[in-house]
Amino acid sequence: MGYSFEQYKMTGAIGADDEYWRGLEDGVFKLPLCSSCKSWTWPAHHRCGKCGSWEFDWQEIEPLGKVFTYTRTHYAFDRVLERKDDVPYVTVVAELPEADGARVMGVLDGSEAGLAIGATVRGRILPPSPKTKHYPSIVWELVD
Amino acid sequence: MSKMRGATAVVGIGQTPYYKRGTSPEPELKLALRAITAAAEDAGIDVRDIDGFVSYASERSDASKVMPALGTRECRFTSLVWFHGGALPATLNLASMAIMAGQADCVAVYRSMAEGSSQRLRVMVAQDDTSAQYLVNGLDSPAQILALRSQRLMEYHGVPRSALKATTQASYYHARNNPHAYGRNLDVSDEVYDNARIISEPYRLLDCSRENDGAACILVVSAERAKDLRQKPAYILSAPMGTMEGGGALEENWRPYYATAGQRELADRLWRESGYGPKDVDVAQIYMNMNAMGIGSMIDHGFFTAEEAETFCTFENLIAPSGTLPINTSGGDLGEGFIHGMGLIPEAVRQIRGTSPNQVPEAKLSLVTGGPGDLMSSTALLGSEETL
Repeated sequence: MGYSFEQYKMTGAIGADDEYWRGLEDGVFKLPLCSSCKSWTWPAHHRCGKCGSWEFDWQEIEPLGKVFTYTRTHYAFDRVLERKDDVPYVTVVAELPEADGARVMGVLDGSEAGLAIGATVRGRILPPSPKTKHYPSIVWELVD
Repeated sequence: MSKMRGATAVVGIGQTPYYKRGTSPEPELKLALRAITAAAEDAGIDVRDIDGFVSYASERSDASKVMPALGTRECRFTSLVWFHGGALPATLNLASMAIMAGQADCVAVYRSMAEGSSQRLRVMVAQDDTSAQYLVNGLDSPAQILALRSQRLMEYHGVPRSALKATTQASYYHARNNPHAYGRNLDVSDEVYDNARIISEPYRLLDCSRENDGAACILVVSAERAKDLRQKPAYILSAPMGTMEGGGALEENWRPYYATAGQRELADRLWRESGYGPKDVDVAQIYMNMNAMGIGSMIDHGFFTAEEAETFCTFENLIAPSGTLPINTSGGDLGEGFIHGMGLIPEAVRQIRGTSPNQVPEAKLSLVTGGPGDLMSSTALLGSEETL
């Protein structure tokens, strides 16, 4: 059986992050580390701009970080109408120290109490659903 | 200083009326033709002699479609600048290079949009090229994606709400004197601003640009030729495009700076190539897809720091004729209307000519910035003959 996201594949932008989505669908949070110079390369790309390597090791890391920024969406926009019943909802850009500050987006799950730039968040993986366009996703929860 | 400095000039401007989105009585291509012919008439140039065509982003009225109706004698140069609204001033760079290299004599730079001929502007401009990283997480529109930057500009860097409000009120104040402005009848009082519905925090409706149907065009020729034409030339002093290492399509991973417009190094080049600095600028058309991003542009250009935004960005300081930096004197993307920013260049030119609806007395240096927060951007400085 193939992965859900592959059957609903969105094309656009760089599009080198299939392994990220596969990881999430397998229940694992992983990001690409250059096999040669060991730089975290995020968003995923086809070649390491630092050293020229074409190889990456997708490393499992703990989804623990800090809120870098966020927005609370109050309006159901055209291409994300799946979330129209969730409005307003918060999307967080989390900065992950373990991956040299790579920033990974995810919807905020749970209480909004304490939501602020710099607040600590922990990720939780959700399986594919219509709301996430049949992709797996990571949601961020505020940690006390 | 660069070879481009003062080598070319804008000599013609043309704009169609701005319609509510989706209501243009004419299709997109016809609007483009209207704007191009108006610019030729303004310049006193036979429209058939335009031999270069430049646009940007998702423009669809390309040269092959307009030239049969313009009676173009020979199309010698045609090109599109990549990326989105960030490309706006970069079109001047491209047009100038074509002329300097002898590849064209008269270049039309234009943008046309009509939803009835395409689709919702905010969808169209994305060019079906949005990363799944956004869409999976409920982020679609430029308004939401730029909101991420502006939330940090405000919460982390301390730019206050009052600064956003001042840019909106200055824009609409200027729109009132512009019979062409779509938003000329809207009086944005404190109450109207504060009660505008929230779109994506920190943006309220009046922090966001409009979406209009319409078209705008400017004509670029060599400085030599400009001298003999009907209008006072607005010389192109510099129009750098691009970004630095750590920028580009990085899905909110921009480094080393994030919350402003991504124009810091562009502005450095602008000042270096033109020989001027932020204190010399008389008037600025600041691209405001969202007003906080335009504040980021002004910060990147060195007009003030994030800490100074509160005292610099006041209504009095941003309006013509007497503000320290009058901005968006036609009403800009917020008040005049939004054809992917293309209305800003004609207004920058009018300021040099002395024909703006909100004229800054004796304006000589006129800035126009590109879409802030775009994956790459650009900026341009226009000057009168005295500035060469």
